[in-house]
Formats: sequence, structure tokens, C-alpha cells
Amino acid sequence: MWQYIARRFTYMVFTVWIISLITFAVIQLPPGDYVTTIVSQMINSGMEDLPPDFEQQIREQYGLDQPMVVQYYKWLRNIIVDGKFGYSFVYRKDAKDIILERLPVSFAISGFSVLFIWAVALPIGIYSAVKQYSLADYLVTFIGFIGLAVPSFLFALVLMFFSYKYMDRAMIGLFSREYETAPWSLNKFLDLVKHLGIPVIIIGTAGTAGLIRTMRANLLDELNKPYVDTARSKGLSERALLWKYPVRHALNPFISTVGWILPSLIAGELIVSVVLNLPTSGPVIYNSLLTQDMYVAAGAILILSSMTVIGTFISDLLLAWLDPRVRLH
Amino acid sequence: MTEPLLEVSDLKIHFFTDEGVVKAVEGVDLVIERGKTLCLVGESGCGKSVASRAFMQIIRKPGKIVSGQMLFRRKSDDGTEEIIDLAKMDPKGYPIRQIRGKEISMIFQEPMTSLSLMHTVGHQITEMIRLHTDTTPTEAKVSAIKMLQRVGIPRPERLIDEYPFRLSGGMRQRVMIAMAMSCNPTMLIADEPTTALDVTTQAQILDLMLELQHDYGMALLFITHDLGVVAEIADDVAVMYLGRIVERGDADTVFNEPKHPYTQALLRSIPKIAMQRDELEPIKGMVPSPFRRPTGCQFHPRCAQRFNLCNQVEPANTHLNENHSVRCLLYEDAEARTSNAEAAAHG
Amino acid sequence: MDVTLKEQVFEQSSSSGSNAPVAETEEERRLEVATQWQLMWWKFRKHRLAMFSTGILFTYYFVAIFAEFFAPWTRTQYIAEYVYVPPQPIHFFDDGKFDPYVKGLTFERDPRSFKKIWTIDQKSKIEIGLFVKGSEYKIGLHWLPIPYINNLFFTTDRHLIGAKDPTQPMYLMGADKSGRDIFSRLVYSTRISLSVGLVGVALSLTLGISLGGLSGLFGGWIDNIIQRLIEVVMSVPDLPIMLAIAAAVPLDWPIERVYFIITIIIALRSWTGLARVVRGKFLSLREDDFILASRLDGASQGRLIFRHMLPSFYSHIIASLTLALPHMILAETALSFLGLGLRPPAVSWGVMLQDTQKVAVIALYPWLLWPAAAVILVVLAFNFLGDGLRDAADPY
Repeated sequence: MWQYIARRFTYMVFTVWIISLITFAVIQLPPGDYVTTIVSQMINSGMEDLPPDFEQQIREQYGLDQPMVVQYYKWLRNIIVDGKFGYSFVYRKDAKDIILERLPVSFAISGFSVLFIWAVALPIGIYSAVKQYSLADYLVTFIGFIGLAVPSFLFALVLMFFSYKYMDRAMIGLFSREYETAPWSLNKFLDLVKHLGIPVIIIGTAGTAGLIRTMRANLLDELNKPYVDTARSKGLSERALLWKYPVRHALNPFISTVGWILPSLIAGELIVSVVLNLPTSGPVIYNSLLTQDMYVAAGAILILSSMTVIGTFISDLLLAWLDPRVRLH
Repeated sequence: MTEPLLEVSDLKIHFFTDEGVVKAVEGVDLVIERGKTLCLVGESGCGKSVASRAFMQIIRKPGKIVSGQMLFRRKSDDGTEEIIDLAKMDPKGYPIRQIRGKEISMIFQEPMTSLSLMHTVGHQITEMIRLHTDTTPTEAKVSAIKMLQRVGIPRPERLIDEYPFRLSGGMRQRVMIAMAMSCNPTMLIADEPTTALDVTTQAQILDLMLELQHDYGMALLFITHDLGVVAEIADDVAVMYLGRIVERGDADTVFNEPKHPYTQALLRSIPKIAMQRDELEPIKGMVPSPFRRPTGCQFHPRCAQRFNLCNQVEPANTHLNENHSVRCLLYEDAEARTSNAEAAAHG
Repeated sequence: MDVTLKEQVFEQSSSSGSNAPVAETEEERRLEVATQWQLMWWKFRKHRLAMFSTGILFTYYFVAIFAEFFAPWTRTQYIAEYVYVPPQPIHFFDDGKFDPYVKGLTFERDPRSFKKIWTIDQKSKIEIGLFVKGSEYKIGLHWLPIPYINNLFFTTDRHLIGAKDPTQPMYLMGADKSGRDIFSRLVYSTRISLSVGLVGVALSLTLGISLGGLSGLFGGWIDNIIQRLIEVVMSVPDLPIMLAIAAAVPLDWPIERVYFIITIIIALRSWTGLARVVRGKFLSLREDDFILASRLDGASQGRLIFRHMLPSFYSHIIASLTLALPHMILAETALSFLGLGLRPPAVSWGVMLQDTQKVAVIALYPWLLWPAAAVILVVLAFNFLGDGLRDAADPY
């Protein structure tokens, strides 16, 4: 088991490292010399009284006049040692502040989406498998297909249209007015939870549809396994044996789905937040990419991606705890 | 002395599939006697597994018992006997669950997949014990360890916390047997329990089952296609072909004086040490598709002794003597034959 | 007895199976001689929804190829006056006889902005017809960037449907902010949106088969490295990184280059699934008897792979590809919708949906959401088709 965890942990660190490389490449992507872009941007945005050696300062701070490897090392070192992600020239703040302000909301949305997906997909998937070929099963399968086919941002658009037309207000925002700018508190969190419903449904629908299909297929496989006959021949009631044996076996892939669900949840959260204009990290990444505010974009992408990988690692641990075959081998 | 435990008559089980109805079991009559071993023999797909599952009402979808009786004599603790028709019981109901595991229990063919790999051996055995007896977890565990010891598992107190995937096939089958025996059933169904095992393990498991049967006095319904095994353990033999019992009798009679052409062919097709150099005689043809059952006698297309009536008249059960019956026109007397033929012509 | 009775009976009887006394039915003989593809087709045919979806997809691609004919207007044609015209539905009967027409348009001025607000004029009537004369266009394969093949076209001015008097407005699905016909643009955008999927699939097929094949054939450390790579790619949230790359595409690049870059970005995220399928198949095939047999026969490695291994799972590859296609179409739509994918004057469903980013726009002009319906329908059709193919891929 420890060997398994160690191996998974190594993979995780390796993946995060690759992500940092990709993210660093992202910073390098915009054409032209970065500093000149920044300086011209700052001048454009009205900061004309820059100190004369400002360009030189930035170049030194990020080591822009040094080889790529050194630049990468400095950038990573700043993040790991000092927690510095660089400076946002659009927001005129530390990139860290912008990212940290938005991240909790992103995590809340993703976390609730995972819970929502599980809570809905598990019972429906089980029901659909147990009542295979029933009317309800066909209905679930069909709705599932539609859920998979409608991309979350289109779903958001359509919902927005209906809420605008019939509910007389757009479902924009995650906080009531009085909490919008307030510092984090329990009440603000509760207020957030109240507003999360619709974004979570929008973001979670595709994942739910996918997971229902997975659960149904897995359980259908398991229901015909000989150990189910054994359990039945012992005299267990149908309900008891269903939950204890086949569902328990079908649950393994269910747990490990977190691994593939998280990246697509993050993607969904990003694009839906842009559409619904939610104060999450999504619009931050989007806007910073549009304005080429690269340190903010890179920082947000790095943290978000790393969190995804850590989430996958946690699901691996969960699997090890749940499945003796993983644990004992 | 015969003392019937389970009397099956005219059992029919059909599978309702999209492609049509498969008549897996088409009128089976059987008697299983208390404390005796009955071997149910036949090729794959002849319906022997399905029939045995019916006795516990654990037929898989889309199979259904469409007719027949399965009278089971249950002795309660005070010695009185009640007769229950298992065929009438709801497969999901409480009464049949009181039979499963407690009165009749079952061992399956695949020890690798018949145990849940996610639960410990001990968990799976004590679950059964606690389901049918009023015991505490600790007591259940003690009797589970005893049972494991009884089936010849070394250091059972350690093995009880193991997961089945860490055990060999033979060990798993022993665990299955321990589990099936843990509530001291009056009847044990073993569905090809040794097929998936290697030869030496097969022999050990067979010995163990015979020993347990002797000690506990339960009836054993042993399903196999291995005539060698039958010769070793059977008191009675029933030969099944395409959903019907074609010949039935005590083991000696069936082996020494097989009457049905199918039984004769089966016996000729097994190698004997004495006739090493000879060619084996396979049975001609293949088992027909379940969707297209032959008319008349089911075996006639492959039968070497068929004559003109065989494809028209369904043979009835002919009792040759008290312990031996056969379903073949060769043994029906002329009178019965003609009346059967007339019935076939009219109906 | 280690050879069981069953096996003896079966082996020996099946060898003499040809002279079995039981006559085979027509059906059985048919099944015995059928090729794998025939079996798959028979199985696939039973999947109603998949058959129906195939029809829909054929229609889509047909429209995409001959878009110029199906669209009443060209891609860029507009009438500046007709901004945000509501859809003019077709009426088939006039006074009880068949005479298709659309109703005309009328406007009033917004009292504050003085902009024209168009509504349907219930009184006026614009006659429409099939194969009407319109602007001249090329029809054929002229839009393919392949020399010689793109000479296959001819010029005509007939359009499938249109107003009999070409100066009259006919906006079947309404107009957008610059007075362009949404229906015509929708027809044109089918070409780009669908081809992005095809080109992307071709790219990820190449990547997936080569990497998955390497991994499965050679195993060992090569397999290990490729597996790690796949794991990394799969666990990285792709959208932000796709966005970052897309955002870096210079604004002054020509359409074709942007198109190609976007397709590559999309293909980069979807090869992993295919690589896994291919690897798994190769791994299990390596151990298969028929591969061993031909290896013992002295078949070369290349022959083994291309004559024996690959053909045995073409069907699985096709099914996976069909399921990958809608993802690519959706990815392009999402990127373009966010303004980071294809850009005007290129027109794809995502580009058209860019206009709907603001709630107010959707609320006032909901007909701008038509492309969403096109996306959903095609994605559904691909999913059903892929499902049917996957079921049919194992006909035995």
C-alpha cells in the first residue's frame, strides 16, 4: 500500500512539474519582448510616470536577460519560496492577490459540483441498471445523452435566456449585494452556497450524465457476476445484497472518475463563469489571456491545474482505502 | 430405505429473449433423497445448471419457471415435517430466503469469481451464519473458524481475515464449501465444483465433499459432465439432454446397463485405460440450437438407433423397474407407442 | 480425466459438423459465411437511433459541401438596414392553395436611440420559391485547399430557396447585428465546424495510433514513458491551456493558419483516449494465438502489425473516432465562442454564438441562439452513431 501511495505521489509531483513547464511556456507565448509589451501597456493605461530604470528592474527581477532555464528557475523559485506569482499590470496588484481572492469560489463551485454529480449520478445509475430496459431506464439514458451533448456554456446561455425572460432577472453573480465586497466570513460563505445552485447544476450536468452511464454499465456488468449468485444463494434480501456486493464493486470506477471529472469540471467552471460573469478564477484567466496579463494567467493556470492533480491523487488514495486489491498489492 | 427430500415433477423453465423463447428445461422429474448423492449429468447447455438453480429460485433473467412442482420436505426442530412447493415461492420473498443457505445451499463452478474479492473470507462466512442463526459476531466468527478448519484450511484464524484474491483456486473452493456448510443445510447443490480446478485439487475437493456428506448427512445434488466423477460419488444418476431427463437410475444400473442411446453414447465416448489403442467414439452431430428443438424425441437426429417414429412421437417416461426409468421409444411397449403416435397425429 | 467429456464431445463432433444430420437453416448459413463487416452492418442496422443519426449526419455533410446552393445568401452578404430582423417563418398556403410566402417587415423607431426596431408586417407578403435566381456562386470542391481537386466546380446562380424578387428580404431565422441572414451563415458555418472535427480526428488518429502502437508493441520503458505522458495530458485541465495557446495566436494571421492552429490545439487533447484503446488492443493481441501463429510462420513485424493486428480492431478505432468527433466540434465552438478560436470573417457556429455572450442580446434577439441548436443536434447524432458503432464493433 505504501508503495502504491509513493508511486502515485511521484506521478503527482511529476505531473505538477510538467504543468509548471507548460505554464512557463504560456508566459513566453505572446509575441515580442515581454517587457516592452508591458511598458507600452502601462503607458497606454495611463501610468506615464514610470521610473526611468523601471524596464531594467523588471528584467532583473524576472531574469529576462538570462537564459531560459534560469528564467524558469527564478519564476518557480519566486512561487515556491516567496509565494510570488508576479505582478498584474492590468489590475495593478500582485498577481497572487487577484488569484487568491478568486480561487476559493472556484474550489467551492468545483467541490459542490463533484458532490452534486455523485449525489445525482449514483442513485440514478443504480436504479437505471437494476431496472434495465424499463421506461425510466430509457428516459434516463436519453436525458443522459442530451446532457452529454449540450455543452455547459450553451446550457448556461439557454438558462440565462429563460431566467431573463420568465424570472425577470438575470442569474448573474454569486453573492447578495451586501456580501459582494465584504471580507470572507461564515455568513458570506452561506450566502455563496445559496447562490451556487444554478452554476453547479450547469457545470455538473455533463459530468452527471457521463457518470450515470458509467455507473449503469459497470453495475450491469457486476450484476451478472457469479458472486452475486453466491450472495443470493445465502439468503440475503435483494436490496441488501445489491448494496453490499455489486454496488460496492461498481463503486471503484466511480471513485476513480474524480480523476477525469476534475479537469473537465475546471474547464466547465471557467467557461460558465465567463458566460454568467461569476467572480471565480475563470474570468480572471480569460481576461488576463485577452489582455496578455501573463503572470496572472500563468499563476491561475498553475494553481488550478495543480489542484486538479492533487484531487486526482486524493481519489487514488480513496480507491486504495476502498479496494483491498489495490491496497494489498 | 428411501426418504424423499425434494420431489420435482414436470419442471419447465423458459428464457424469454428478444430472439424468441428458449426452453431450457422442458419437463424435468427428479427425486432427491435425504442423505444421498444424485448426479445430474449432461453436455453443456442441456439445462442442468438452470434446473438446479430453480431449486433455490435463483434463475437469472429472463428465465422463468413456467410450470411444475418442487416439493421440499422441511423438518422443523420438533421433528414435524412440512411440505413446501418451492416453485410457488416468490424469488424475492422472505420465505424462499429462509430456505436458501439454511435448508439448501449451493457451491458454484468458478471459485475465482464466486466469492466477492472486496470482502474478507470471514466476513462472507459470518454473514451467512448471522443471517440464519441468532448469534453474536464473535460467536459467528468462532463457528466460521471451526468450519474453515473442518474443510481443511490451515491456520484458519489467520485466513479468516484474508481477501479471496490472495488464495489459490482450491483454497477458495474450500472456503465456498465452508460457507455453504456453515448453516448445516439438509441439501447441498454443487454445480460443477471441480471443473475449474486442476486434477489433484479436484480429487481432494471431491473427497472432502464426500466426507462432509457422510458426517453431516445432507443430500447432495452434484452437477457435472464428468462421468469419472459420477462413477466415484453417485448413489443415483440422472442423465439430461436438451432440458429433459432421458435416463434415471441408481449408479450401478446406469453405468452397467445403460438403456438410452444417449447414455450409451456418452459412456462410449470416455476413454478407458483398457482400451487405450482404440478410437474414441464421439457422439455424432452437435447439440441443436435451443431455438430449434427437434420434433419427436429430442435426441433422434444424433441417435444411431433411431427408427421411423422417432421424429414424430415424443417418448414418455418408461419405468423399467423401481429404480430405473428411461425416455426412449425403444423401451415403450407397442401399445403405448401406437397410442402416443395417435396422440401426436391428432395434436 | 483431465480432458473433460464436454470438450471431447464438442471438438470431435464439430469436426464432423458438416455432415451433421440436422439441416442448417438459411439464417445460420448466412451468418457463417458473412464477413466481419457484414456482421457489424447487420448489428448496426438494428440500432434505430444510430441509423437515424447517420441520416442526419449525411444531411449535415451534404449541406456543408454544397453550402452555396443551400444558403439563400452568400456568407458575407448583408443589408445594413435590416439589423436584428426577427425570423420570418414560411407560410405554405395562401387562401387554401399551395403558394409559399413569408410575411414582410415593418419598423418603428426607438424613441430614444432612433434605431429601427423590426417587426413582422402581417399585411404584406413576399413570395418565395425553390431554385430561384440569386447571386452567382461557385459550387463544388473549390473551397478545398488541395490543388487540382479544387478545380472541380461549376458556376451557377440558382439557390435552393429564396424570395422570387431578390431585392425583398427573406430572413428565415432572422438577421444578426449587421443585417446578415442567420440561416445562410448557419449553412456556411456547417462547413468549418464539421471539418474542424474531421481534420482534428485525422491528427489525433495519427498521434494516437503511433504512440499507442509504440506503447503496446514494445512495452517496457517506452510503454512506461508514453503512459506517463498520457496520464499527464489527461490530468491537466485542458481548457485554460488551450485558451492560453489560442490567445497567443497573432491577430494578423490569415484565416487558414488560424484554422490549422486551432485544429491542432483541439487534436492535442483528444489523442490520449485513442492511444489507450490502441495500446490495450495491441497488448492483448500480442498474446493472441493467431498472432503467434503468423509469427511462427515467419511473418515480418510490419506484416504482423498491418495485415493482422490493425485490421482486427479497425472497428474499435472507428467507434472511438466517432465518439471523439463531437468533442472536437464542441471544443472549437467553445473556443470561438470565447473569441479565442476562429475569428471573423471565418464563420463557424462558435463564431456566430460570440454575439450571444451578453444576456441582454439573448433576451432581445433569441434567434441568435439557432447555431446552438445546430451544435446540439450534430453532437447528439455523433454520440448515437458512436454508440451504435461501438455495439456493432463486437458482432460475435
